[in-house]
Amino acid sequence: MWRYIARRGINLIPLLFGISLLSFIAIQLSPGDFLAEVRLNPVVSQQTVDEMRRDFGLDQPIHVQYAKWLWRVLHLDFGYSFAFQVPVMWLIRSHLVNTLILNIAALAIAWLLAIPIGIRAATRQYSLTDNTFSLGAYLGISTPTFFSGLVLLFLAFKTGWLPIGGMTGLDYEDLPWYGKALDVARHLVIPAAVLGFGAAAGLMRQMRGNLLEVLRADFVRTARAKGIGERPVIYKHAVRNAINPLITIFGFEIGHLLSGSAILENVVSWPGLGRLILESVVRKDLYVVMGALVIGGTTLVVGNLVADILLVVADPRIRYD
Amino acid sequence: MSGRALVAVVVGTLMLSLTGPLRARGGAAIRLPDIEHPKVFAAGKIGRSGGTLVVGEISDPRTFNLIVSQETSSTIPLSRVFDGLVETNADTLEVEPGLAESWTTSPDGKTWTFRLRRGVRFHDGVEFTADDVVFNMETAFTPGVRGGRRDRMTLAGNPMRWRKIDTYSVEFKTQEPFGPFLRTMTFGVVPKHKLEAALAAGPAEFNKTWGVNTPPRDIVGTGPFTMQSYVPGERIVFLRNPRYWKVDADGNRLPYLARHIQLIVPNLDTLRLKFQAGEMDIYGVRPREFAEFKAGEKSGKYTVYEAGPTASTEFLMFNENPKGLTPPKLAWFANTKFRQAISYAIDRTAIANQVYGGRARPLYGPVTPANKFFNNPNVKQYPHDLGRAETALAEAGFKKGTDGVLRDVSGNAVEFTLSTNAENSERVAIANLIRQDLVQLGIKATLAPEAFNTLVGKLDGNGNVEGLVWGFTAGVDPHTSQNIWKSSGSLHRWNPSQEKPSTAWEAEIDRLFDQAATTVDQKRRKQLYNRWQEIVAEQQPLLYLVNALTSVAARNTLANIRPSSFEGGTWNIEQIFYTVPFR
Repeated sequence: MWRYIARRGINLIPLLFGISLLSFIAIQLSPGDFLAEVRLNPVVSQQTVDEMRRDFGLDQPIHVQYAKWLWRVLHLDFGYSFAFQVPVMWLIRSHLVNTLILNIAALAIAWLLAIPIGIRAATRQYSLTDNTFSLGAYLGISTPTFFSGLVLLFLAFKTGWLPIGGMTGLDYEDLPWYGKALDVARHLVIPAAVLGFGAAAGLMRQMRGNLLEVLRADFVRTARAKGIGERPVIYKHAVRNAINPLITIFGFEIGHLLSGSAILENVVSWPGLGRLILESVVRKDLYVVMGALVIGGTTLVVGNLVADILLVVADPRIRYD
Repeated sequence: MSGRALVAVVVGTLMLSLTGPLRARGGAAIRLPDIEHPKVFAAGKIGRSGGTLVVGEISDPRTFNLIVSQETSSTIPLSRVFDGLVETNADTLEVEPGLAESWTTSPDGKTWTFRLRRGVRFHDGVEFTADDVVFNMETAFTPGVRGGRRDRMTLAGNPMRWRKIDTYSVEFKTQEPFGPFLRTMTFGVVPKHKLEAALAAGPAEFNKTWGVNTPPRDIVGTGPFTMQSYVPGERIVFLRNPRYWKVDADGNRLPYLARHIQLIVPNLDTLRLKFQAGEMDIYGVRPREFAEFKAGEKSGKYTVYEAGPTASTEFLMFNENPKGLTPPKLAWFANTKFRQAISYAIDRTAIANQVYGGRARPLYGPVTPANKFFNNPNVKQYPHDLGRAETALAEAGFKKGTDGVLRDVSGNAVEFTLSTNAENSERVAIANLIRQDLVQLGIKATLAPEAFNTLVGKLDGNGNVEGLVWGFTAGVDPHTSQNIWKSSGSLHRWNPSQEKPSTAWEAEIDRLFDQAATTVDQKRRKQLYNRWQEIVAEQQPLLYLVNALTSVAARNTLANIRPSSFEGGTWNIEQIFYTVPFR
């Protein structure tokens, strides 16, 4: 097992190298650069623009720029943001925790809802409950997050029960720790619900489908024929076998913990990493995008690794050594 | 309310009682114990102290270093913290004393001497003196330090020179008389004692100093508010500066507000909901929202204030760059008659009604009426008139065939693309309306919205666009737009960076701008710029379209709300106050 994990860790290196190289080239080849905005300012002279281009190293050939960037990253220096003139790592750090709070809350909602509902829907196929949940799931899958986010914000506005976007209230700094937690929780309700219900919809359909398939398998019939009660058949035999694909999905979701909420973050003004990355891509703040990609790539690989390890735990048939 | 805010209120009240006996409305000069000649902000009502004003912006500040800051996301919050030697009165657009209480000009217009206000202190208690002014000038002219200051203060390649006379006076010299000199002195003054070490460490280090990762309380200026905290992606909190150097007409120290918060809300719809839900106190109403906001005034307990026309313009430009286009199209676009014909064909009223919900007026020249100082209302106008459009086209040799297609002298059908940046839905809508107008002339225009970056890349490359719907926001002094109007300018988009002006009228505009730059008499400058506006309206290198009207919604409990289209809804934040004691 440990050797497997180590091997996966080593595989990460060429993978990240590949991701970073390709994205670096892709960003540089797409039209325009960070200075586009500056150049449009009539007060700024051409000389100043040229000076900035030299400062940022944007006047050098792409391969030189990449080599320099890579060399710095190997020394754990992710460079400076063009736009903010602060270290990329400071920017990422100041947004990272917020995004994690939101996405972990959403992940918890999604899984705690989807698994039981999926099981219930599968065991009562075509019943009223199943159909109702399925209809809800279709709605959840087909509604884009920015739309449901706006609708919920509007509801919050009409009822006055919840704050309109943001992550903390105006007096957050002066609150005791439990007040702070409560304040963040109040702000978390809308975005976590949007993301959580959206993800739960898809997961529930997956769980239902997998379980239905397993329930038709021979070993389930055998178990029932042996006279085992319906509950142990479902929970001990069927569900354990049906959950494998979901664990793989879980791995992917860990990988998306940092970037999955970018659009919603913009709508509900959640001060997260996704929003930072989105803005950086739009204005071509090269090193912020690169830093975020490296971190995103790492979490994706780590997420998959976690899923693979969980698979071993859940399914004794799987062995890696 | 936070503990600090309370302290600020208490200190503020103490100051009020101290200044009480010194009241002198319209009579003897007002003094403060620490400042001999505070500036009296006479316009507006006398207010009461206290309260928190919450506003919203859509982006995070990019730096707290005022010198390198370029975009409004940084300069708006920093304008609360820093003051200039002089400031623009947003009511009149005249230049008024700021940190400098007075100034003199030599008869030749090349030497300016400023007398600084005594007793003004930075937020950390250090006195503001001539050394700070000198330091700001040195920084701006240090090679490698970013920001637009050096470019603004350079005239025809000649930088300004400056000299400290004594602790409270500074002298500036320019090689030639410099027309916009006073307006360049509105730059905010940063403290020498906080930043000299960073400058000594070199320009690269200086550009990074006072980044957004600096503890906000280190960012000290002389402005009406001190920076208290910054939470990225959420808000900036400011507290009242109890040492501010302005007073109201009764001698009460400004600002009235105890606390000011700027939220960062990246989505305009969310921003609007926040105002309607009462989480925010002032909101810039978009033209399309005006009717709805006006109708909701009573139930929402707010007032919509008209702020007048904006300073930003939207226009249609035809590419006349020989490097970017080939003969048939180049010949059409370079023909003044052709451009005038298109201008007559555009239904500006329809654009105003459909894109701006009626909250816009037709615009024909480069300076909008927002610029009360330099606007020339008497320029040639192009009311929607297909008859005149067709006459102009016929004069230029264009003919409409029996198939309804317009053709030039050599028989080429007139068709071109209309580019604009896809992110701006208003511009896309405008381009679409223009396309429809042109159909009536027999011209086939194809709409080509593109991503901003792609479009700018094209414009910078060989200028490979045909028609372009674009816009920009001009400063008060037309001199700040010289890179657009002079034929040698890189932003002279229709035919940029010319070695010699390619037309007589471009040559005349070059002369007008050069002359206005070296003229100090503002009346004479206004005449020169009037002539420039006439030429632009006559020649139509840019077909100006409409001028949107701005408005600001504010809570009914707020007073002294006097929004300006140039300086925004809170330019006079030091005199805004709450009429009721709450928050």
